[in-house]
Amino acid sequence: MIGAVRECAARLAPLVLLVALVIVVACAATFAPIILQRRVTQALIMLVGVVGLYVFAGNSGVFSFGNVGFMAIAAYVSALLTMAPGQKSVFLPDLPKLLAEQHWPAPAGALAGGVSAAAIGALVGFPLMRLSGISASIATFSILVVVYVGLGNWTSITGGQNSLMGLPNYVGLWTATIWAAVSIAIAFAYQESRGGLLLRASREDEVAAKAAGVDIVRHRWIAFTLSAFLSGVSGVLLAHFLGTVRVETYYLDLTFLIIAMLVIGGAGSLTGAVVGALVISLLTEVLREAEVGFSIAGTHLAAPTGLGDSALALLMLIIILYRPKGIAGGREIGFPSRSAPVAGRNDVPPPNSFSNHELE
Amino acid sequence: MREAAQVLVDAVSVGGLYALTALGIGMIFGVMRLVNFAHADLITFAGYAILLFFAQSTALAVVGAALAAIVLALITERAAFRPLRGANPETLLVSSFAVSFFLEKTLIMVVGARPKGVDFLPGLARQVDVAGVRLQLLHLVTIAISLALLAGTTWLLRATRLGLEMRAAAENFQMAEALGVRANRVIAAAFAISGLLAAAVACMIVAQTGLVQPRMGLQLVVIAFVGTVIGGLGSLPGAAIGGFFVGVGSILLQALLPEALRPFREAFVFVAVALVLIVRPLGLFPSRSLRQRV
Amino acid sequence: MSVRSEAVLRVEDLTIRYESVTAVKDATFEVGEGEIVAIIGPNGAGKSSLLSAITAIAPRARGRIEICERSTDGVPRSEIVRLGAALVPEGRQIFTSLSVIENLKLGATIRRDGEIASDLEAVFAEFPVLAERRRQMAGLLSGGEQQMLAIGRALMSRPRLLMLDEPSLGLAPMAIARVYDKLTTIRSRGVAILVAEQNAARAFAVADRVLIMSHGRFSLSGRPDEIKAHRDFDGAYFGVMMSGASWS
Repeated sequence: MIGAVRECAARLAPLVLLVALVIVVACAATFAPIILQRRVTQALIMLVGVVGLYVFAGNSGVFSFGNVGFMAIAAYVSALLTMAPGQKSVFLPDLPKLLAEQHWPAPAGALAGGVSAAAIGALVGFPLMRLSGISASIATFSILVVVYVGLGNWTSITGGQNSLMGLPNYVGLWTATIWAAVSIAIAFAYQESRGGLLLRASREDEVAAKAAGVDIVRHRWIAFTLSAFLSGVSGVLLAHFLGTVRVETYYLDLTFLIIAMLVIGGAGSLTGAVVGALVISLLTEVLREAEVGFSIAGTHLAAPTGLGDSALALLMLIIILYRPKGIAGGREIGFPSRSAPVAGRNDVPPPNSFSNHELE
Repeated sequence: MREAAQVLVDAVSVGGLYALTALGIGMIFGVMRLVNFAHADLITFAGYAILLFFAQSTALAVVGAALAAIVLALITERAAFRPLRGANPETLLVSSFAVSFFLEKTLIMVVGARPKGVDFLPGLARQVDVAGVRLQLLHLVTIAISLALLAGTTWLLRATRLGLEMRAAAENFQMAEALGVRANRVIAAAFAISGLLAAAVACMIVAQTGLVQPRMGLQLVVIAFVGTVIGGLGSLPGAAIGGFFVGVGSILLQALLPEALRPFREAFVFVAVALVLIVRPLGLFPSRSLRQRV
Repeated sequence: MSVRSEAVLRVEDLTIRYESVTAVKDATFEVGEGEIVAIIGPNGAGKSSLLSAITAIAPRARGRIEICERSTDGVPRSEIVRLGAALVPEGRQIFTSLSVIENLKLGATIRRDGEIASDLEAVFAEFPVLAERRRQMAGLLSGGEQQMLAIGRALMSRPRLLMLDEPSLGLAPMAIARVYDKLTTIRSRGVAILVAEQNAARAFAVADRVLIMSHGRFSLSGRPDEIKAHRDFDGAYFGVMMSGASWS
C-alpha cells in the first residue's frame, strides 16, 4: 500500500514540483517592482511556448522550427476576435464585415486562437510527419516562413506589416502563471500517456518501435497538433500581454529564443523545458540591462546592441558541445527518496536524441 | 509571348541561384549529415565583403567575397562542427541554427542592422536584345554563371580523386575511411566548395538587389532547404534539381497567380511541396545510403 | 631452428570491451609474410571485434597491435591502410552509387605513384567479370561479383596484409569457392591474409594456420591438420561448424 502511494508520488513528482516552482516564482515576483513583474510574466509566457515546443520536439526527437508560426496564427485570431470593433475599423478598414463585428470575451478568443493553431498544425503536420526526422525539421521552417509572409501580406485581415493595437490587456502575472501551470500539466499528462510513451520509445529506436507495431506517424501527428495548440496559447498570451500584435515579432528571433531555451534547458525532459525558459529569461534580462548600460562617474558604459543575442547563441553552442543534454540532462525533477528508489521513469534519464553522438 | 520569355528567363535565373545554394547545402550534408543553416551567413558575409571592396575594383570584390565565404566556412567547420562529427542530424541542424544566429548577431553588432546600398556590377543592369526579346543581362549572366558552377562542381565530383573521395564518404563514411580517405580533407573540401558557391550567389544577389543586409542569405537558404528536401536529402543532383524547381516554381507562380493571391505565393509553394512530399516522402531522388534497412 | 620472418601483423594481449561485455580477451597471435591465417568461430565469438580493433574502428582496452612492425597506437582509422593492412569488410560494403572502376580507384586513394592504371588492369585481368562491368554501377553486381570487387578494391592499395571479415556470408557455394581460389592466388603473390570465418570447411582448406575462437578467446591454434587431429578438436569446434559445410 505504502509502496503504491510512494510510486504514485514519485510518478507525479515532476508535475507537482514544476508547478510549485512556477508558483513560487510568481509569488516572489509579487514583491518586486512592476517592471520586474512584467518581465516575469513574459518569462512565464515564454515558458508556455517552450513547453509547447517540447511536447513535440522532446517526445519525438524531431525539432520543429515552425511553432512560432502557430503562435502568430493564434495571436492574430484572438486579436481579431477580441478587439473592439471600433479599434478594428481603425486598423483594419478592409476587414470583412463578419470579422469586424465580432467582439468575443477574452477566454473565448484565447481558446479560438489555440484551436485555430491546432487545426493548422494538424493540417500542415499531416504531410510533414511522414518525412524522416531531419527532413521534417527542415520542412517546418517553411511553416514559419509561409505564416510570416502570408500574414504579413494579408493586409486586409492582419494589417500586414503594421501593428494591431488595442488588444485587451488581460494577461497579468497570475494569468500567465495559471497558463504556465496548465501547460505543464497538459505536457505532463501527454508524456505519461500511452501515446506519449510510445512516441518516446520511437525516439530512441525507430526501427524497433515500428517492428513493435507503433504507428509513429500518427503519434507524431498527435504530438504536433498538441504542440501547435500550446504554442498557439503562448502566442495569444504574448499578444494580450503586449497589447499589440505584429508579424515581425513572430519570426526568427523569437524562434531562436524558444529553441535556445529548450536546448539549453534540456530538450529531453519537461523539467528541461521549464528550467530553460526560466534560466534564459533571467539571463536575457541581465544581458539586456548590460546593453542598456549604466552610468558611472559621468560616463555611460553599455554593451553593444546585439551582444545579448550573440551571447545567447554562444551559450547554446557551448551547451550543445559540452553538455548536450542541457541543464536538466534529460532527467525529470523528482522528490529525493529516503529508501531504495522505486524503479520508474525518474530513475532512467531518457536518452536525448540531441545528445547522441552516434557513430554512423 | 515576349513576356513569357522574360518571365521564363527570370525564373531560370532565380532557379539557378537556388540550385547553387541547395548544392552547397547538399554537399555538406553528404559528407557530414549536417544541414548547414549557417550557409545563409556565408552568403551574407560574402555580400559584406563585396560592400567593402566594390568601390576599389570588381575583381577585388569578387575575390574578397570568395575568400570571406571560404574562410568563414572553414572556421565554422573547425570550431563548431568538427567537435560534433558523428552527432545525429537533428543535433547538427540545431547547432547550425545557433551558429547562424551567432554570426548574424555578431555581424549586426559590428556593422549595424540596416541595409546598405551597393552599386555592384552596374554594367549588368541593362537589357539586351536576344532574338527580338528584351531580356535582363543580369539574368542571363546569372544563368551562365550558375551553369558554369554546376558544371564545374560536377566535374570536380566525377573526374577528380577528391571528388571520388567525397562521393564515397557521402555514401559510407566509415568504409571510405577504412580505404584511407581522410575525413578532415574531405569535409574541409566540402565546406570550401560550399563557401565558393555561396560567394557566387552573393555576387549575383548583390548585383540584382543593390543591397546588403544581415539577413540577405536567409531567404535563399530557407527556400533552398525546401528544395533539398524535395530533391532528396543525400543526393547532390537531387538537391540542385529540387532547388532549381522551387526557385523556378516560385517565380512562375508569381507570374501566374491572380493579383489578389500573389502575396500568398509562399503558401502555394508550400502546398506544392507538401503534395510532392506526400507522394514521395524521401524526396524525388532519395539517396540509398539514407534509406533505413528494416 | 626457426628463422622468424617479419610478421605482417602482430597482436599481443588484445582485450576489447564494450561497456561491461568483454568481446575479446588476451588475444595473441601473428600473421607472417605470405601466409593465410584463418580465425574460425561462431557468431559472437569476437572475430569481428578483433578485426575492428585492428582497423581502429573499435577501441581496445588493452594490448598491442603492430602492422608491419609499426604500432597502431593512436593511429586513426584512415591511416591503418597506409600501414599496409587492407580490409574487405563484412557485407562487402562496396559503394553502390559508384561504378566498378570507381570503387577500384578508390582503393588506391592512398597512392600517389604512377602505377595505379596498370594495377587496375591487373585487377581486371584477375577478375574478368569486373572487367566486363567496369563502368556499371557497383550496386548492380551479384553478391559474388561484389565480393570480388571488394577484394580487388582492397588489393588496389598494394597491401602487405589483406583482412577479410566473413567473406562467404550471403554467397552461393560456387561464389565462395571462387573467392577462396582467389585467396590462394593472392597468397602466392606474397600478400598475407587474415580471414575471419564461420564457414570452417573452406577456411581449413586454404589456411596455413587456424585459430579457433569462442567467447572472445582462442581455444585452439595451429596448422589445420594438427587441429583436426587434436583430441579437443570436437569440443573446441562444436557449434562452429555450419550446417552444409563439407570437408573436401
